[in-house]
Amino acid sequence: MKRIFAVILSALFAVVFAACASPARAETAGAFQPRLDPDTSCEITVIGSYSNFEALEAEFDRFNEIYPHVELTYLKPDDYNNLLGMVLESSNAPQIFFSFPWMYGNEEYLTVFEHMENLADPQLGLDLECIRSNLLQYDAEGQVLTVPVFARNYGMLVNQDLFEKEGLEIPTTWSALLAVCEAFQSKGYPSPMMGYSADPSSCLMSILVYPEVVAALADRPEALQAANGMDPAAGEYMRPGLEAMMQLIGSGYISLDQCAQISDNYTQVILRFFEGDVPMMICTADTVSGTGKRESQSEAFSRNPFVYSFHPIPLSEEGGYFIDSPSVEFSVNKTCDNLDMANEFMRFLITRDELNSMASVKRLITPTKDLSFSAVFEPFGLVPAERVLCPETIGITDALFVQVRNAAYQVGTGAASIDEAVSQYGSLK
Amino acid sequence: MNRLKTSWMVVANIALMAAILVFVALYSRYEKNENARSQVEHFVNASMAMERVTENYLEGEQGICDNWAQYINSRDLTLEEAAAYISATHARADTSAHLIDAETLTGCSTRPKLNSPEEYAVSYARMDLFGDGGWIADLGEAINITRTYTNPMNGEQSLAFCNRIVVRDAASGERKQALLLRVIPTSKLEEKWVFPKEEYEDEDFSIIDADSNYVIRGRSFKSSSFFEFYKSYNQPGIAAQNQLFSDIMSGTGSFTMLDSRGRECVVAHTPITSTKGWVLLSFAPVSNLNADTENWILIGVVSFGLLLLLVTDFLYMHSANKKLRVMAREAEAANRAKTDFLSTMSHDIRTPMNAIIGLTAIAEKNLGDQEATADHLRKISLAGHHLLTLINDILDISKVESGKLSLSPITFSIVETVENLVNLSQPMIKEKNIVFSFRVNRIEKEYLYADQLRLNQIYINILSNAIKYTMPGGRVSVDLREEKSEKPGCVKLVYRVADTGIGMSPEFLEKMYQPFSRQTDSRVNSIQGTGLGLAITRQMVELMHGTIECQSELEKGTTFTISLDLQVAEKQLEEMRIDGVDALIADDDPILLETAADTLASLGVRADQAGSGLEALEMIRRRHEAGNDYNVIILDWKMPDPDGMETIRRIRADIDAPIPILLTSAYDWSDIEEEAKAAGANGFIGKPLFRSGLYEKINELLGMEVKAVEPMDDYSDLAGINILIAEDNDLNWEIISTMLGMFGITSERAENGRICVEKMAQAPEGRYDLIFMDVQMPEMNGLDATRQIRKLDHPWAASIPIIAMTADAFSENVAECMQAGMNGHIAKPVDLKLVVKEIRRIKEEKKS
Repeated sequence: MKRIFAVILSALFAVVFAACASPARAETAGAFQPRLDPDTSCEITVIGSYSNFEALEAEFDRFNEIYPHVELTYLKPDDYNNLLGMVLESSNAPQIFFSFPWMYGNEEYLTVFEHMENLADPQLGLDLECIRSNLLQYDAEGQVLTVPVFARNYGMLVNQDLFEKEGLEIPTTWSALLAVCEAFQSKGYPSPMMGYSADPSSCLMSILVYPEVVAALADRPEALQAANGMDPAAGEYMRPGLEAMMQLIGSGYISLDQCAQISDNYTQVILRFFEGDVPMMICTADTVSGTGKRESQSEAFSRNPFVYSFHPIPLSEEGGYFIDSPSVEFSVNKTCDNLDMANEFMRFLITRDELNSMASVKRLITPTKDLSFSAVFEPFGLVPAERVLCPETIGITDALFVQVRNAAYQVGTGAASIDEAVSQYGSLK
Repeated sequence: MNRLKTSWMVVANIALMAAILVFVALYSRYEKNENARSQVEHFVNASMAMERVTENYLEGEQGICDNWAQYINSRDLTLEEAAAYISATHARADTSAHLIDAETLTGCSTRPKLNSPEEYAVSYARMDLFGDGGWIADLGEAINITRTYTNPMNGEQSLAFCNRIVVRDAASGERKQALLLRVIPTSKLEEKWVFPKEEYEDEDFSIIDADSNYVIRGRSFKSSSFFEFYKSYNQPGIAAQNQLFSDIMSGTGSFTMLDSRGRECVVAHTPITSTKGWVLLSFAPVSNLNADTENWILIGVVSFGLLLLLVTDFLYMHSANKKLRVMAREAEAANRAKTDFLSTMSHDIRTPMNAIIGLTAIAEKNLGDQEATADHLRKISLAGHHLLTLINDILDISKVESGKLSLSPITFSIVETVENLVNLSQPMIKEKNIVFSFRVNRIEKEYLYADQLRLNQIYINILSNAIKYTMPGGRVSVDLREEKSEKPGCVKLVYRVADTGIGMSPEFLEKMYQPFSRQTDSRVNSIQGTGLGLAITRQMVELMHGTIECQSELEKGTTFTISLDLQVAEKQLEEMRIDGVDALIADDDPILLETAADTLASLGVRADQAGSGLEALEMIRRRHEAGNDYNVIILDWKMPDPDGMETIRRIRADIDAPIPILLTSAYDWSDIEEEAKAAGANGFIGKPLFRSGLYEKINELLGMEVKAVEPMDDYSDLAGINILIAEDNDLNWEIISTMLGMFGITSERAENGRICVEKMAQAPEGRYDLIFMDVQMPEMNGLDATRQIRKLDHPWAASIPIIAMTADAFSENVAECMQAGMNGHIAKPVDLKLVVKEIRRIKEEKKS
């Protein structure tokens, strides 16, 4: 009886004390030690090309646990790539903005680069060491003006349940890919592989061909120089990739008619894949990042959910490539208001834990050295190191990429033959 | 079983407590919900008010744009001319106007491009801002506003009021459709649209267009559009989501959603009616709307109160149960004791009854043998008296238990009380050959005012117990001393009875005052007793505000000490002095010697003390030889070597002088009277030696010739007395009249009270000396009869002594009789000695 009484008494006291106790202040994020007054009140705006950036907003919330009076906002200006320079000059200039690898060397962005702060400045205290070295770009003065927050990649979303249902293995070689496509086709799948094809940006054609071109130029400095120099002779390095692409299209494994129904290279690609009848959807990792949120927005997927993952596209017998390239980078506007707090936020964000956390929420590949993949990206963890290529390290320029993209698109859509595309390298529009 | 019930009680208490807490919590929740509902309602209303404010503002801004458009449309202007007109008429630095070709979405601005003061060209070609343009209503019909977009001229987030205009193509001169945009930075708008912060903290608002894109975006709103924001943090299912979006766009209302921090927030939505599909959204965390409505203090206080109640209840219940268990045990024990008592009573009653019936039968068969018959009748009498004691005890304890025991104080003599005490105890002491001593220490106040009957009962019970439980040859000593009382007008009588009896065990000591309890002992079983005496005694002592203490040890004996503060009566003996008398007192008890010498000294008597007969003899001889004989000698009978009787013989043999000698003893004088007289004793004085007794006896011896002690069975003084006896019972009348006849007393009978009154009224003066009045009689009871007699005209009749003779034996009955006008009380069955004593008392009073 005494024990029962004691237990009841304790429980009631616990209830009473729990009811009376004030809520404990949320534990501050990680081991981050603020350098500024935690009661600082100011506004920080981050602008970028993402329509939505919940992963970053989650970081805002975590940062607010330390600096509760800092208002952080993410905005997507219209026509981001063209208006960025002007926005940085405007009276409401943001503190932090998206930057991209392709901006390097592009004269249109000279004013943008003038706004960029050197993030390698030791006084800022950013943990750049946590980022994979091949993703960091140091300029001639040893400055780091852009810090990657996500990594780019190319591949195909695979409906694992469909493969299992049809008794097929996910292909890791070119011949296996052809065999699988043949099998699916014979089982009535009109387009075993699909992708966005309406315009060159992120079209399936460039996704197929570009990794092959990067691989072809990786160990050929002279060829790379020629390619970067828009030498038409370098067009030959596109041929294997273009031929493989055309074999897939020509065999009907990629039905361009089916692909044409996909109206954008992001949401519609995902929703089409979630219809559940596409074994392989060619896309970038950026597109994969939108899958998580759209699972619940797809009636078909909600009715019949399935397991899927992102795989390298094996266009050779050795398998596919992991093109490890910065996707989105952050730069700090050194002429902005509240620069100290902007740098404090960057110091908070550019750490292994926060970048990994953001990548996990965004469902993208983290730029940190701790390359722990989520289940969706797990197949890329199996790619041998020699097949992991970094275009930036190799030295591939944006102009080269644009030529490959245009070539692949024109060939894929039938606007040009392979020979024409190869011969017109450097001048493809 | 009891434990089970207690557990259930605790469980029931806790369940009740939990139920109350649940109720309080639910009620608090209900209140909170009601409050929240009210707050939300208020919030929605505020939102609607905000919508009207917004609408007024927007209409104002749209009006300016409409005026421009109207002017432009009424003139044949090119884009550039129209821009020049607006620039000229509108000087606000924070706004600008963009005029663009509806086809190419390019045109000119009223303000130059940022950092390019000469460049006024503007292009919206790369912005998905206008769609098909269908949303732009005709002039004056609606407010046409773009979503928030990036001003291509300065990079600021802005929105634009729009109108369709018609301009002239500068190149072709043809009229063409164009758009007029009045561009305002959103930062300027936000300054005008701020919620009253003092009412809702952390509230925010946004305006969304028909596609849920933010026109104005508050900081709490995330993502590129509100629906996207909603979908990012809420997954209600597609159907519910679509329904919600439809509701938002179609009317006023509110709903809750989770924000990016996982907080539950209220969103109020109200369409801005003058726009095409715009909706004003007000957003606030639920916790802010419900601030201070969660009454945790109430819940806390109720919880604590209930907890306290539970603990108190539990402790009280525990205590009550414990008491109940004790009481149940006591009740069980009492019940068992009563059962045992009944069994014992049955045995105890049957035992004397057996003696009475059996001896009566034997006496009837041996009527010829006078000596045997007398012995049988004596034993029958003893058995009858024991039976009477038993009945009295039962009645007393009944009164004690019912709380009806009350005191009836009268003035009485403590000397007489002690004498009675000694007399009553004599037979048993003699029978058991117990060494008995009774010491009285300086009793100065003889007459006290108290309930004599109860005092007697107390003293007798204690003493008779001591005698009863002391084995033959043992010793019983009584000390009675008077002490100063703290109560004014009182003396403290300390009565101490010590025996060398069987003693009591510590276990029995704890319960000895409980009724019906007797020590379980084979030696006790043979001793007659009711097990009520001590219970009655303690009750009476407590009733008289006294104390009773007991020390006892098995096999060694028991000592009871009773202390009572008794009021001193107004009536006291006159100053008693017999100065100049020289006395010798001899006793082997040094304390008695000391107290007796003390008492004698208080009378003015100089007393020498002798511890033995031989010492006394020697002292008397020396005095005699010196020619200075003692005036009086007081000798204890039971002195050793030699005893009192032998000492007297030797005095009378050796000393030739008529020195008065008093023999003293605690034992019955009648047994040794003849021997004492023969030995030469002049008188007897019983122990204890009271001041008054010594005074009277010494005076008697010195004031007159020494005379022999008056025989106890001389009743000649009673002859000739005529008594009227009011008695309805024939047998009782026969017994009392026969008894009285034995002393030469004549009697007449009145069958009831009324006859008694009539006889008295008709009787000549002096016909009756007194009346024995039964109380319970038919027609008129004894009390009423007494009152009637006292009211008779004749003084003799009205003042005739009336003695109650009744079976109503309690003190209150005695008091009742006295109040009715009676002069005394004799309880039935009547004790012949008491009757005689009472008659003599009346006679003496009559003489005086």
